[in-house]
Amino acid sequence: MDTTRRGFLGAIGKVTIGAAASVAGASQVAEAAQTDTPTAVPHWGMVVDLRKCIGCQACTVACIMENDVPQDAFRTHVSVYELVKDGQDPAMVMLPRLCNHCDDPPCLPVCPVEATFKIDSGEVLVDASKCVGCGYCVQACPYDARFINHETQVADKCTFCFHRTQAGLLPACVETCVGGARNFGDLNDPESEVSKMLAHNEVSVLRPEMHTNPNVYYIGLDDVLDGRVAGEAAYHSEMADSVSSHEEGL
Amino acid sequence: MTKRRNILKGAVATGALATFGVGYAGTVKKLVKGKWSGEVPRNKHLTGNSIPAEYTVDPQTGDIALNPDQAMSYTMCIGCTTMCGVRVRVDKKANKVLRVTGNPYSPMSTDPFIPYESSVAESFAAMAQAGKGNGLTNRSTACGRGNAVLQQVENPRRVLKPLKRVGPRGSGQWQTISFEQLVEEVVEGGDLFGEGRVAGLREIRDLETPAVEGAPEFGPRANRLMWMNCVDDGRDNLVLRWLKQSFGSNNFTRHGSYCGGAFRSGSGALFGDFKAMPHAKPDFSNAEFIIFAGTAPGNAGNPFKRIGNLVAKARSDGDLSYVVIDPILNNAQNGPSGERSRWIGIKPGTDGALAMAMMAWMFDNDRINHDYLAQPSQAAADAAGEASWTNATHLVIVDESHPRFGHFLRGSDLGLAVEGEAYSDADPHLVASSNGPIPAGNTPAPLFFDGEVDTTNGPVAVKTSLSLLREEAHRQSLEAYSDDCGIPTAKIVDLAREFTSHGRRAAVDSHGGMMGGSGFANAYALSMLNTLIGNLNWKGGAMIAGGGFSETKGPAYNLASFPGAVKAKGLPAGRNVPYEKTSEFKRKKAAGNPYPADGPWYPNAPGLATEWISSMVNHYPYGAEALIFRNTNPVYGIPGVAPLVEKLKDPKVVPLIISIDPFINESTGISDYIVPDSVMYETWGFTKPWGGVATKATCARWPVIEPRMEKNAQGERVGMETFLIATAKRMGLPGFGDKAIPDAQGVLHPLNRAEDWYLRGAVNVAMLGKTPVAPASDDDIELSNVARIADDLKAVLKPDEWRRAATIYAKGGRYENIERSYDGARATYAFNKPMMIWNEELGSFRRATTGTRVPGTPSWREAEFADGSKVSDHYSKEDWPIRVFSYKSPLQNSYSVGAEVLLRIVASNPVIVGSALARAHGIRTGDMVRLSTPGGTLESVAVVREGIAPDTVAIEHGFGHRGFGAHDITIDGETKPGDPRLAAGVLLNDLGLIDPTREKPGVWVNPISGTAVRQGLPAKIRRIA
Repeated sequence: MDTTRRGFLGAIGKVTIGAAASVAGASQVAEAAQTDTPTAVPHWGMVVDLRKCIGCQACTVACIMENDVPQDAFRTHVSVYELVKDGQDPAMVMLPRLCNHCDDPPCLPVCPVEATFKIDSGEVLVDASKCVGCGYCVQACPYDARFINHETQVADKCTFCFHRTQAGLLPACVETCVGGARNFGDLNDPESEVSKMLAHNEVSVLRPEMHTNPNVYYIGLDDVLDGRVAGEAAYHSEMADSVSSHEEGL
Repeated sequence: MTKRRNILKGAVATGALATFGVGYAGTVKKLVKGKWSGEVPRNKHLTGNSIPAEYTVDPQTGDIALNPDQAMSYTMCIGCTTMCGVRVRVDKKANKVLRVTGNPYSPMSTDPFIPYESSVAESFAAMAQAGKGNGLTNRSTACGRGNAVLQQVENPRRVLKPLKRVGPRGSGQWQTISFEQLVEEVVEGGDLFGEGRVAGLREIRDLETPAVEGAPEFGPRANRLMWMNCVDDGRDNLVLRWLKQSFGSNNFTRHGSYCGGAFRSGSGALFGDFKAMPHAKPDFSNAEFIIFAGTAPGNAGNPFKRIGNLVAKARSDGDLSYVVIDPILNNAQNGPSGERSRWIGIKPGTDGALAMAMMAWMFDNDRINHDYLAQPSQAAADAAGEASWTNATHLVIVDESHPRFGHFLRGSDLGLAVEGEAYSDADPHLVASSNGPIPAGNTPAPLFFDGEVDTTNGPVAVKTSLSLLREEAHRQSLEAYSDDCGIPTAKIVDLAREFTSHGRRAAVDSHGGMMGGSGFANAYALSMLNTLIGNLNWKGGAMIAGGGFSETKGPAYNLASFPGAVKAKGLPAGRNVPYEKTSEFKRKKAAGNPYPADGPWYPNAPGLATEWISSMVNHYPYGAEALIFRNTNPVYGIPGVAPLVEKLKDPKVVPLIISIDPFINESTGISDYIVPDSVMYETWGFTKPWGGVATKATCARWPVIEPRMEKNAQGERVGMETFLIATAKRMGLPGFGDKAIPDAQGVLHPLNRAEDWYLRGAVNVAMLGKTPVAPASDDDIELSNVARIADDLKAVLKPDEWRRAATIYAKGGRYENIERSYDGARATYAFNKPMMIWNEELGSFRRATTGTRVPGTPSWREAEFADGSKVSDHYSKEDWPIRVFSYKSPLQNSYSVGAEVLLRIVASNPVIVGSALARAHGIRTGDMVRLSTPGGTLESVAVVREGIAPDTVAIEHGFGHRGFGAHDITIDGETKPGDPRLAAGVLLNDLGLIDPTREKPGVWVNPISGTAVRQGLPAKIRRIA
């Protein structure tokens, strides 16, 4: 075997077969993330390059499969718009949406039972054992990223695939992103792919006026779409009324 | 029917919330007892029902710890025809596929794909955050549909036991029967349905009696068994062995003629092969400018993900700008990419007008590649440093009275001494020179010539191929072309200028959108643009596929032939052969005039499913005694076929119809028997890319879960392979049984189980080439769960073979490394035959129904019916002012509707109407409209959009089902009610046309390629509510 080719993976060590992989380990890492080991704690973020999104909805379906998202709900979704501007040809915009894992999350203070919380690595999570399903957070989220799971009767949302990142894996939506639009990594690490993308590109966020300090960034986001949804969703045009009345529909 | 569910689930959740909120305040007070303790919640409380991770990767060391409850296997998706290499995650205990993503060894799913030598453990690490680039570098994906179709495995409407119809065909009433009864009845025949005697396969397999009395050209009666396939899912070689070499029928066809066949035929004209129909794809990563016409990168196409990924990267990080020519704006265009990605609307089915207009401008403005086109031979091209060559300079006989009209002038026409027969390959093609015609040599030749030359039979008029093409391009003015395609002349000129401003780093790409009445010539014209700039075989230009590693013709086993093989004979029923070979022609010629024939013939086409149904119901040239549908659905797929299908339901027309399919689709639904079959991750097979992959790539599929079909008396899962083997053995056909597969030493090995076939194929794939693949390690076998089939590998294969075959399955195929894509500035795998500026076969044939000729070059002509009359003469613009077309969905295809998660995202397909047309008819989004063509009428919800060509209406493909459970299915008296979700939406093919000029009914097809017409159907629209 050509050993020079091995470099692409860096050091590859042993393979353990038959060890429990995720559940116990993930809890420990989560615990670690909650305690004070600042150097080891990443700050997860996503950079979505809209120039690379092809609207294939692989992320949408992978998320449903990975997280057993119930019927009538999405943790993530790609809105597809036909954008019509005066004097210009109509254009397609595919806009992946998910929980923005804000640093100042509006969903957090409204939770009456503190079931919603933010961990040091940046994820905004919901503790299902605490949540009473009141839905205040669903209303408070400016991104419409939350819903009440009809099966569990608690607030549900994207976790950045917490169970996968704890295992060293990518979130399902990132792993399967066909165009390479969704990029995920540690914003604390200047050498991470996402940090480099932030350094080298002009980026924007959804609903900047809400000052949520989101951790989901977009490259190529037209300001028409960063707040209200002004175009008609091409797929879902008969839902246009819902779009305009409800703004950020996932 | 077409009313859709609300996709914006946030709205639903909020609505529900309001109700809950009212009675909520009191409850909260009880629950809120000070600050939450702050204890770390148990993990499952954070991630709900999410699936436990498949493995853990240590970020520092890259060590992998597997989750013992899950298996990770590399195999193949069949969610569409691309057939990507994927990684399937299985819950071992439940025998259930949990999720699917890409195979990082596979170019279909990954760019750049990892070196083949990488161990399976390394491949796992490559896709994790611990890998270089945080797992993003070799990210390997499945598309939306690819993520969803695992649901088909557990589709509650799967056929798991053999079924036999109860009551009339198509009534939806079935009974389960044993596999053994199935085999006995279809082989032996008899009074199977209480409707009279039906001939069984044994009787039909008659290699002596002619299929048609008095017409020996149609071969033996065995040809009256006809096999309709969908796409080669990697199992066709076994089907073809059974059908052609064992049974002896020559009638086999796939779905291309109602899919993208017009493009493939048009490309076949350029590449000089109407049967294999080669095609090139742009080098998406290195081209500077691409015109996509009739294909939509990132929205659809093959290879879907690969094109979507490469184009997305090239428009963002690379040098690519591109224009999508399409009647509808779709995901192929990308607003955030700005000028890098543009859309130009075109009238459906008129791409030839655009292409010919561009050509005319290129000729007029000297923007063709002279140095390339002037090389008349491979030797000349080599000497000039060209990567391919054309027949641009070759002289064509253009004297209509000459017996060789439309053929190339050859040495023997001038009386030159020829080593070999006249007009054989040894007889040189001639080019012009100042001293008259001379054999094409190793130096450049004049591009244009129009004059007379002396031959042994006197003077004859000749022109070069390029002169003929230039004339054809000048047949219309730029303005007339512009009127025909609806693109302003200035835009056409801009396109032509930009296309010719990048040297050879530009390309035109096309595919399924060519399915219009003039589709064949349109596709030939678009493909020709590539040749005029000489981009073939160049990095950044157009490249053919690198191919694959054959499983049938390998160094270990011969799966391609066997002792006692039959040679199938006779003209096939689809009439894709010269009419002049038939007894009908001879009879009519003797009576005076051989033209018109009783129906159309398509010598310049491959097998035509479009024409088969017509052949069967009209018994012209002959009908079928038995028909097998294998995972195929022409009833759903062929535009306008419905009236013919009604006739097919009569058992007198085709007495025996057998389907091999996991589902009861629209075609399976009219069969007499259904053989259950495996679904995707349960099946075996080998495929290679159609195009767009420069390296050799073979994807291997194997059962990564235990198949769900019932077992037969021998304990084998019932499916296509068990059916073929059992019927062959019962009939005593050669090529099956204990002594069937020769190895390299000529020793015969058994073919009694699927494994006997596919595992030996895997050895061939592994052993091909200078360096066979390395044997799989224990780790590779364990991590990929090839351990599941290890006992079979060891039992079937020789001791020195099985670990190499295991590597093929552990890595999901065999893939050449990415460095092999290019050889310097050229493609490693070049197409070496000449490009046909003039296609002799095309330019010299006569249409059977008219006796007339067509140009041997690309051309733009209004669509015609079989008798040569213009479609617009039958269906005028005044009566039918609209043009309807279909477009591919990124999510849904003709057989994916059962994956319910896709319907959560897009639940139906409205009719898309442009804003101007909508205003003229008072149509607003949400209105019900009635859309009619001469072939049919449908009613649906309208959606008004800007991004669609004027006076056109678009329908997304993949909805409007009657099969797959859209209607009731009754088995053994128990009814599974139809699910309206599966029936949602409309089907454009219901609007397809029967050709009104055909005496023997047939659908409207392109007269050259015989391909279906669904782009640009004449129509009218009305608001009804």
